[in-house]
Amino acid sequence: MIELRNITKKFYQKTKAITALSDVSLTVPEGKIFGVIGASGAGKSTLIRCVNLLEKPTSGEVIVDGQNLINLSSKELAKARRHIGMIFQHFNLLSSRTVFENVAFSLELDHTPKQEIQKRVSDLLSLVGLDEKHHDYPVNLSGGQKQRVAIARTLASNPKVLLCDEATSALDPATTKSILALLKDINKRLNITILLITHEMDVVKDICDEVAVISEGQLIEQGAVSEIFSHPKTALAKEFIASSLNLEIPVDYKERLVAAPAVDKRPLLKLEFTGQSVDDPVLSEVARLFQIDSNVISARMDYAGGVKFGVMLIEVFGTQENSLRAIEFYKNKNIKVEVLGYV
Amino acid sequence: MSDSMILLLAKGAWETIVMTFVSGFFGFLIGLPTGVLLYLTRKGQVLEHRTLNNTISVIVNIFRSIPFIILIVWMIPFTRALVGTSIGVEAAIVPLSIGAAPFIARLIENSLIEVPGGLVEAARAMGATPFQIVYKVLLPEALPSIINSASVTLITLVGYSAMGGAVGAGGLGQIGYQYGYVGYDVFVMNTVLILLIMLVFLIQFLGDFIAKKVDHR
Repeated sequence: MIELRNITKKFYQKTKAITALSDVSLTVPEGKIFGVIGASGAGKSTLIRCVNLLEKPTSGEVIVDGQNLINLSSKELAKARRHIGMIFQHFNLLSSRTVFENVAFSLELDHTPKQEIQKRVSDLLSLVGLDEKHHDYPVNLSGGQKQRVAIARTLASNPKVLLCDEATSALDPATTKSILALLKDINKRLNITILLITHEMDVVKDICDEVAVISEGQLIEQGAVSEIFSHPKTALAKEFIASSLNLEIPVDYKERLVAAPAVDKRPLLKLEFTGQSVDDPVLSEVARLFQIDSNVISARMDYAGGVKFGVMLIEVFGTQENSLRAIEFYKNKNIKVEVLGYV
Repeated sequence: MSDSMILLLAKGAWETIVMTFVSGFFGFLIGLPTGVLLYLTRKGQVLEHRTLNNTISVIVNIFRSIPFIILIVWMIPFTRALVGTSIGVEAAIVPLSIGAAPFIARLIENSLIEVPGGLVEAARAMGATPFQIVYKVLLPEALPSIINSASVTLITLVGYSAMGGAVGAGGLGQIGYQYGYVGYDVFVMNTVLILLIMLVFLIQFLGDFIAKKVDHR
């Protein structure tokens, strides 16, 4: 549905050329949700703007719904853009228009008859759950509500493709969840192909089918979400996965933590489960085999694309010899073990 | 104050109001499209065009640097060709409009610059043409700011029209000049001043009121 072929984008500042994207290719199949993840400045914004040619690539081909957009006249391009929806981090609603009028905007561009606009806008506003807000101005809405209006606005022109430019980055976690659920629903119900960019692995994990990791203007890794989560190849992909599973040692444990073993101290372990880890009930196995009790201090486990992964902080009760054997056991199960110290 | 003097002042006030608002209207008629064009041809905007932008910019700057009192005299041949005379309210409206237009153009350009770029980007992404972007996005979004610009312009024009009075434009300015400066009639001069102040306050009040009404930010 969306195909980018060898996209390169250079910006010129006086005589200096800055390469924002170099030789980027990706394909988003119809009906899928494709995520591009990267740190700020990696080129992901430029990438998504190349799809509807808000930024014209220096070289390469952009094909959306079988149509090559690169050589279209500005009139043809405007027409093609009507079928490419886009939502933004800062919503970009018109402050001078009410919620209803904002959604009507793209229909007005097509000179849709008034009656049809009335019906269509009402339908869309109930689809996004804003039935009560027709005559409110954007300034009186919460962030989540604004993004819902933006989604309704972009759906008004029946797009086949939806581009999401950090659509949830300005929202709190609960609102993020609800907007992502809405996007997923739209994807399923209206069969709209979605390309989104984000810096949050949680977003990818929640709704994407496929993901690409972008760094310094290049896609360094791409594949199915389950594949990337289970077998991340690049350090950056691993880092993004880890960032969605960040665990801190609680403060009072940190205060008691010492580096060397001592008589009355117990080891504090960090277990990291990745896609390669054997999916076994390891904690109870260790308890049975080595007479070790494990106290889970904090844990963050998750399940995406058919694999379990996560991190766990455990305090180990047992003899020193058995503790070492337990660590060996975890390692054999491809669980990454780190002895953080002794508490 | 004699009846004839009251009549004279009323006529002068009316002439000032006519000069201010009519030339304000024509000033906007020229200044608004010029300001929009200045904005659209800026770097990074939808109709980016360096040469055109520079050309308009130079013309605007030239007209803004001519002192108004000189502009009136300088434009006499043109004024005469256009309205048939170089004296009176009608004649004053011509240089007043021309004097206000470049000022308005710059104010409009600045109002449009304040519209968040994301809104234009969103409109482009939805397939809006440059014309649709102007009248559906830029002008409505900048409206509160444009109305403020209008108050500033009209108040400036009150001052300009008084200046025009010194060279035969009529209005309160001429009365103030003749009775105050030439005849040193303090009473008439002060009455003229009070009338002008009232006019300025009224314009500012109305401008603020309307700007607030249309502002939903």
